[in-house]
Amino acid sequence: MNDLINDLYQEIILDHGREPRNFGKCEPHNKSADGHNPLCGDNLKLTFLLNDQNIIEDIKFTGEGCAISLASASLMTEKLKGKKIEVAEEIFKDFTNLVSGSDEDLKVLNEEDSLYALKGVGRFPMRVKCATMAWHAFNQALKD
Amino acid sequence: MDDSKTFNLNVRKDFPILSKKILEKKDLIYFDTAASAQKPNTVINETNDFYKNHYSNVSRGVHTLSVESTFRYEDARKKVQKFLNARSENEIIFTKSATEGINLVAQTFYEKFMQKGDEVILSLIEHHSNLIPWFFLRDKYGVALKFANIQPSGEIDIDHFESLFTNKTKIVSLTHLSNVFGTELNEKAISICKDKNVPILLDGCQSAAHLKIDVQKLGCDFFVFSGHKTYGPAGIGVLYGTENLLSEMPPYQGGGGMIGDVSLEGASYAELPAKYEAGTPPLVEAHGLGIAIDYMNKIGLDNIIEHENEITKYAFNKLNEIDFIKIHGGDNKRNSIISFNIKNVHSHEVSSFLDVEGIAIRAGHHCCQPLMKHLGVNSTARLSFGVYNSLEEVDKLVIALHKCKEFFNK
Repeated sequence: MNDLINDLYQEIILDHGREPRNFGKCEPHNKSADGHNPLCGDNLKLTFLLNDQNIIEDIKFTGEGCAISLASASLMTEKLKGKKIEVAEEIFKDFTNLVSGSDEDLKVLNEEDSLYALKGVGRFPMRVKCATMAWHAFNQALKD
Repeated sequence: MDDSKTFNLNVRKDFPILSKKILEKKDLIYFDTAASAQKPNTVINETNDFYKNHYSNVSRGVHTLSVESTFRYEDARKKVQKFLNARSENEIIFTKSATEGINLVAQTFYEKFMQKGDEVILSLIEHHSNLIPWFFLRDKYGVALKFANIQPSGEIDIDHFESLFTNKTKIVSLTHLSNVFGTELNEKAISICKDKNVPILLDGCQSAAHLKIDVQKLGCDFFVFSGHKTYGPAGIGVLYGTENLLSEMPPYQGGGGMIGDVSLEGASYAELPAKYEAGTPPLVEAHGLGIAIDYMNKIGLDNIIEHENEITKYAFNKLNEIDFIKIHGGDNKRNSIISFNIKNVHSHEVSSFLDVEGIAIRAGHHCCQPLMKHLGVNSTARLSFGVYNSLEEVDKLVIALHKCKEFFNK
């Protein structure tokens, strides 16, 4: 099988794409945002609970999309749960760099992270939006 | 070697991009002509030549280059007129896209012939470009929109369509060839409009290079298509309209080139077709479109249609045999387009997988979100064929689709 395809669709991506973790609505929640990719119609709804220490206590999502967008959302919720908001913001920055094809100067993510599995998206520029949809929703929710 | 194969090999030589290798040195198989067609050498070379040897603005100067540019621009209009079999060059308006053509009609037809509460009939299978311009009329002016249902075959439900007419129906706008199903419009839809004396616009983006168009025989009042889907450049579109209607409707945009006489108190407007062509037009692109039409005429539209029908039928049957593939729509009156889904695999995955095999297909909603909702899918994969495709390419696609299914269901 082609290396590019194997890099793009690592086992962990296929697994999370088929069975997304933290799929559902977070109750109670105090932050939410919708993600939408107008070019293809993929969408998601992200909900999370930020406690008074600014820690993401719980985070969930629902939606429909391709394996990349679902896996990215699923891995994001796993990564962000329990994190302080400042750390989460650093992860967001690192992740957008990673999937845009630059893994230099990453501050908090490293090759051990499951999110690293999405690095292969960088070779498919048209799929970067699939990988970042959930993350932009997260970023949006923080701003609102 | 049989005729169809020789035909295809000759045509393929005309398209330089077909010798490009994709990613891992795979031969390009281009199945995305419905999004935009590839360009033959003549179009590439002739547009180049225009810039190198003849370029200037059109219809403005008296110098040699202005004459040469104007000649090429107006010659393109003549070619389009013959291509559509319009009665007169005055009925051919150059726009920047088919989308602009629909917007032009929606705005100016409303201004002349409609008022609040009047109705427009569209259908569920329309491209966003044949929905949103009419949504504007609904939102701004209180025009009512009605949508004809579709049958499982992908064709418009003619009885339902007919039932939508009232004495407030002022215009109908329908796709001539669905960009999702590849189905041709039932000509009864046009005759119903004639009977009821309601003008009809046909969105010919997908039909112009894949069916023989004769606007007089069709009996449509407006017809739009784009240059880039007919082997010509992007940035040029065509609006055909009957001289009666185009004369009565007001200008769309104001600017240079569309005026008769201007004083500070007001202006009179140019005659057709200049009345609708404000500003410097996409003149090189218009010329490129004319060359693309020459190219299609040289090969022969009958030959193109026969070749594409053969491929479409072949691909339909091949895909229809595969149990994990669901084709949307039926095989009646299907032309050059097949949309499908692979069970449990998102169309994005199909498209990325095929991409590394060198195969370009479209994945997504095809600018038809209302139709996607109706089909109960988030997106589909779409094959669309052009004059350069071959049966061998379809065979390679089928092998790749099996590999794709296996990969994502391992």
